[in-house]
Amino acid sequence: MSAFGSWSPPTTQAALLRSDWLVFFWTGLAVAALVYGLIFFAMIRWRKRDDALPRQFRRNNRLEIFYTVVPLVMVAVLFGVTYAVERPVESVSAHPDLVVRVIAYRWGWQFTYPVQGITLDSKDPTDGPQMVLPVDRTTRIEITSVDVTHGFWIPAFLFKRDAIPGLLNRFDLRPDRIGTFAGTCSQFCGLGHALMHFSVRVVPDAAFVRWSRSAANAS
Amino acid sequence: MTIGLRLFLSSAAFAIVIVLAYWFITREPAGTALLGFMAFGLSFVAGYMIVAEREADLWGDDARADNSAATGETVGEYSVRSPLPLATAAALTCVGLGLVISPTVAALGIIALLGLGALFIVQSV
Amino acid sequence: MSALAAETGSAEPRERFDALSWLTTTDHKRIGILYVCTSLFYLCVAGGIAIVIRTQLSRPENTLVSAPVYNQLFTLHGTAMIFLMVTPFAFGLANFVLPLQIGAPDMAFPRLNALSFWVFLCGGLVVFSGVLTSGGAAATGWTAYAPLSVLRIAGGSGQDLWIVGVLMVSIATILTSINFITTVFIYRAPGMTMWRIPIFTWEMVATSLLVLMAFPTLTADLAMLLIDRHLGGHFFDPAGGGNPILYQHLFWFFGHPEVYVMILPYFGVVSEIIPVFSRKPIFGYTGLVLAAFAIAGLSMGVWAHHMFTTGAVDDPFFSFMSFLIAVPTGVKFFNWIGTLWRGSITFATPMLFSMGFLMNFLLGGITGVMIASPPIDFQAHASYFIVAHMHYVLGGGSLFAIFAALFFWWPKMFGRKLREDLGKWTFWLLFIGFNVTFLPMHFMGLAGMPRRVYTYDASGPLPLLNFIATCGAYLMAVGVVLFAYNIVVSARDRTPVGPDPWGANSLEWATSSPPPETNFDTLPPIRSERPVFDARHPELDPGLAR
Repeated sequence: MSAFGSWSPPTTQAALLRSDWLVFFWTGLAVAALVYGLIFFAMIRWRKRDDALPRQFRRNNRLEIFYTVVPLVMVAVLFGVTYAVERPVESVSAHPDLVVRVIAYRWGWQFTYPVQGITLDSKDPTDGPQMVLPVDRTTRIEITSVDVTHGFWIPAFLFKRDAIPGLLNRFDLRPDRIGTFAGTCSQFCGLGHALMHFSVRVVPDAAFVRWSRSAANAS
Repeated sequence: MTIGLRLFLSSAAFAIVIVLAYWFITREPAGTALLGFMAFGLSFVAGYMIVAEREADLWGDDARADNSAATGETVGEYSVRSPLPLATAAALTCVGLGLVISPTVAALGIIALLGLGALFIVQSV
Repeated sequence: MSALAAETGSAEPRERFDALSWLTTTDHKRIGILYVCTSLFYLCVAGGIAIVIRTQLSRPENTLVSAPVYNQLFTLHGTAMIFLMVTPFAFGLANFVLPLQIGAPDMAFPRLNALSFWVFLCGGLVVFSGVLTSGGAAATGWTAYAPLSVLRIAGGSGQDLWIVGVLMVSIATILTSINFITTVFIYRAPGMTMWRIPIFTWEMVATSLLVLMAFPTLTADLAMLLIDRHLGGHFFDPAGGGNPILYQHLFWFFGHPEVYVMILPYFGVVSEIIPVFSRKPIFGYTGLVLAAFAIAGLSMGVWAHHMFTTGAVDDPFFSFMSFLIAVPTGVKFFNWIGTLWRGSITFATPMLFSMGFLMNFLLGGITGVMIASPPIDFQAHASYFIVAHMHYVLGGGSLFAIFAALFFWWPKMFGRKLREDLGKWTFWLLFIGFNVTFLPMHFMGLAGMPRRVYTYDASGPLPLLNFIATCGAYLMAVGVVLFAYNIVVSARDRTPVGPDPWGANSLEWATSSPPPETNFDTLPPIRSERPVFDARHPELDPGLAR
């Protein structure tokens, strides 16, 4: 259950995503308990004890309709939960506080902060570039690829989005916790796929301003 | 109306509903085209079955029939052995491999396929 | 292994193995055996590849295989299991069993049937021939996404051979599906109405319908890939006005129905076995049939749930349709439980594997409903969570049903019974090994391990989880080897097998084991979906008047 992200998800979107997971996890657990229970009960209770042929019944219309309608209602509810979570997660604000452009390539990442004039690339630090983001601010990520399809995945944020050549994908991140979070390529892209890492460091506002000045000078 | 025809008719009806729903909800052209082809194909088969089934009278559909319904009748002849399948598969493999490795092999495969096709037609007539 | 057996099933004199008769056969029983043997061969090949993969991943930064080799390995593993094992085994089993179940003398088009097998065999060899090329075999995954698969640097003639081989296999699959549908519609024995055919036969009809709707799209997609690779096409190349998303739409329009093609026959297998070993009829026959077609129909409308993270598809439409599929699948589950309910249950090896199927597939189905929700899929997609899900349904599901089918129908096919004691050991090794391998993968995926990687982060939970998974894989391998040993030792046992060693229900158990060349000398009257049971219990009313 806590395998799906930590107890305190680090972005507002992740908190919503995790709430969706919890609904499905507990529902799944309940369904599993019920069905496994029925199977084990039947296997044990009705083991062959004698040669008598059991009653040869074939159907029970009311029961069959019951276990068609009830799951139908359940998945309708699950869909409602899904829809209610997905809309805010995917909504992009009209005025993000920060825009970061991500370009994926074989085999690395390039992060550009157009307003601040910063460019970071996989070739610079040892384990992929580090995207620094200010806490409690909405960052717009715009992402594409220059060659094949890649996947921009930050497991701690419970989110990934593909980088597709010819397509610009947009999503918002609003981190609300300080920390450093690992990222990796999720969509198979050839020989370097397993080594295409990056990271995201979330810092307070003032630290972000300091960092962006020195990074702009270095770029 | 046989079960088979009912199967294809209901599948075609379902496909038509789905392609319309998909287009009006998503306006996405690739999926609409694919679902459209599917709906067309199923409708075609259903239409063909309606026409072809006019005279159908299968003993399999008679719930009270037993073996005597089938005795004494020659349903048709079918081959028990034939070299054509293996030969055709080999020719098709030549075409396939030839596409990748060598056009000559592909050409030989196509000629072989044509020859086997002619042989098949001659055998069936 | 002779198709001409004495009628009583008594030990026949050993006939000299006539290779030419096997190469020119059009007998559905022999073709079925050819399919089964070929698919079991590919099971060993793909399984062996899996052992290499799991050994490489047993610890981080391992150097057993390099990245280029690893990429070929997982590509061939997926391709072989999906295209050359799971479906061909089902089609081979159905080739042998289906005409017998409906009382037909053979398939509707016997030569087409043989052609399909040989094209499938050659197609598989063409796929693997890529290993012999200088650039190696295809290495872009069984999904071969464009633009990666268009790049010649990512795959030379090995990729082309993969495309051609898969094209051949898809043609073979389409031809066999035409054969199955025609045979069931036209060649049923007197009294064998559509509502009396066994559930396995119904599932094969639904599977064949799915193949007809889905496989042509694969054929088109692969042809377009060839054109992009070699004839200057730009279908999937944005620089030329194309779109990589188009490849994914075309591929998954085939790819999702394909996974139902891989499971529906096996729903049919357990629907045959559970009633026999519960000594009751199948519960909810009509519901099972309607559910099969509901699944088939709905499965054509869910394809882009494989594309939720592209940002280019209407997530709610596909999420909703995907949730809907859970309903008929659940109906099937409850019908199987209803068959067990108040029965008289014994646990021969086919039944053990069928129970294993139920338990494994349930977990795979539940994780499937989870990833039908895009918010969960945003985390799970392209991670080991998906690997876990797919293996629970295909491995824990289809593979377990394959073993159930092998133990159940082996006596009918070969006139020998596989040993029960070895069978039980095989089951437990596979069941424990399977769950030890794939249960940890759910956690690996949620911990951040992506798919198709030859190494992973040395810190965190991944090294331990991966090591455990590798141990499970080795356990499974022992189980498979034990099964091979079972085949060898039981072949030596010449005890005659009668027509009905299990006390079963459907028509194939009314003839000798193995059946004579013309299938049946006489047929019992057919008044329900259990003609052999009815003949054994004349005091009971067949029950189904349709």
